[in-house]
Amino acid sequence: MSQIFHRSANTIARVSIFGAVFFIAGLLVLLAEVNRSPWMTESRVAREQPIQFSHERHVAGNGIDCRYCHTSVEDSSFAGVPPTKTCMNCHSQIFANSPFLEPVRDSFRTGRSIQWTRVHDLPDFVYFNHSIHVNKGVGCTTCHGQVDRMPLMWQESSLQMEWCLDCHRSPERYVRPRGAVFRVDYVEPPDQIELGRRLVAEYQIQRLTSCSTCHR
Amino acid sequence: MPHKWGMAVDLDRCTGCGACVTACHAENNIPTVGPAQAARGRAMHWLRVERYWEGDFPDVRLTFRPVMCQHCDAAPCEPVCPTYASHHTDEGLNAQVYNRCIGTRYCANACPYSVRFFDFFNPQWPKPLHLQLNPDVSVREVGVMEKCTFCVQRIRAVEIDAKAEKRELKDGDVKPACVQGCSARALVFGDLNDPESEVSRLSRSPRGSKLLEDVGTLPKVTYLERQTQV
Repeated sequence: MSQIFHRSANTIARVSIFGAVFFIAGLLVLLAEVNRSPWMTESRVAREQPIQFSHERHVAGNGIDCRYCHTSVEDSSFAGVPPTKTCMNCHSQIFANSPFLEPVRDSFRTGRSIQWTRVHDLPDFVYFNHSIHVNKGVGCTTCHGQVDRMPLMWQESSLQMEWCLDCHRSPERYVRPRGAVFRVDYVEPPDQIELGRRLVAEYQIQRLTSCSTCHR
Repeated sequence: MPHKWGMAVDLDRCTGCGACVTACHAENNIPTVGPAQAARGRAMHWLRVERYWEGDFPDVRLTFRPVMCQHCDAAPCEPVCPTYASHHTDEGLNAQVYNRCIGTRYCANACPYSVRFFDFFNPQWPKPLHLQLNPDVSVREVGVMEKCTFCVQRIRAVEIDAKAEKRELKDGDVKPACVQGCSARALVFGDLNDPESEVSRLSRSPRGSKLLEDVGTLPKVTYLERQTQV
């Protein structure tokens, strides 16, 4: 009786078992990378808004401080979305008749809030607090990116847990002096690690990696 | 030194009114399950008031014992969790991470105090009660285990405010919902690492005892009651 399999079947079997390990490993890496990609996290994808509000124009062009609109960032968990009244502080005088700003004037007249599209949306089981980060020397642009170069707002970071933990494990890589927290033109000094270590000690920054720091 | 949160319950003060239970439900978005499911043992009360009748009629004495998670230092629920959803924090809290929990229920089986509850259903609140949910606490979905957290959201809020204002926490700054709701002031919460705090002082009291002390779980809740000579 002749053999069912040719001698080469041994080699094929070995190669395919060996290859399968790499194939599965590759598949897992691919899956992890897809999960990290903007396709899943929607980072760096500009969001359409009811009014084409440009942070670039207002921040870089006009030099308005973050806190002029996001008033509660220093003492609340939520940075705050400004009421229409804040827009009208300037826009009752500047571009007061521009057709682009009709929704703003309409909101002001009727008292109905402008329905902005949320850009940074954390999962519901995560609790983030702006005030403590700002008070410990985490700059706006550290997480939100160069807002002064975003005509339409996008989410700069992945907002995934590994991204949070990256800083929570080694804050010295990111912290800056408290005075520079709201500066959008702040550039990390070449000795960031050295400066960071000093600030971590000075501001008593803790490495909070316990789950219940953010999950509750 | 990190905090070590603990509680003292004065049973001689407790009137069994149940305000703590109500406060806990309101604070922590705990759903009610209805009489049919409660009869099957699926009622959820992170904090319950146990009733004990002592003596025979007519010489009956009724005593109460509020029982919440004892936040054991040697918690039996922690080593059995395959996903580390049930774990110990630096501050001695026995924390439950809902988004890690896969619902094996090992922890509830290991707990000698029966203070862990499994979500058999997605919680539902008839309108307009859904508007009273606490935004600082996750609403747990079906298939996860939940339990008393010592109102960790309040601890974090006070800690964050204190750090942002660069001051130290004072004794009594942190009040879980049950403590705040207790009109008899039978419940006292605070830092056990601070020897001067009220809860430390009460925990050292000769009136104090732990629940099921002999099983060796090292609970952080101390029950105070009148000790009688037998």
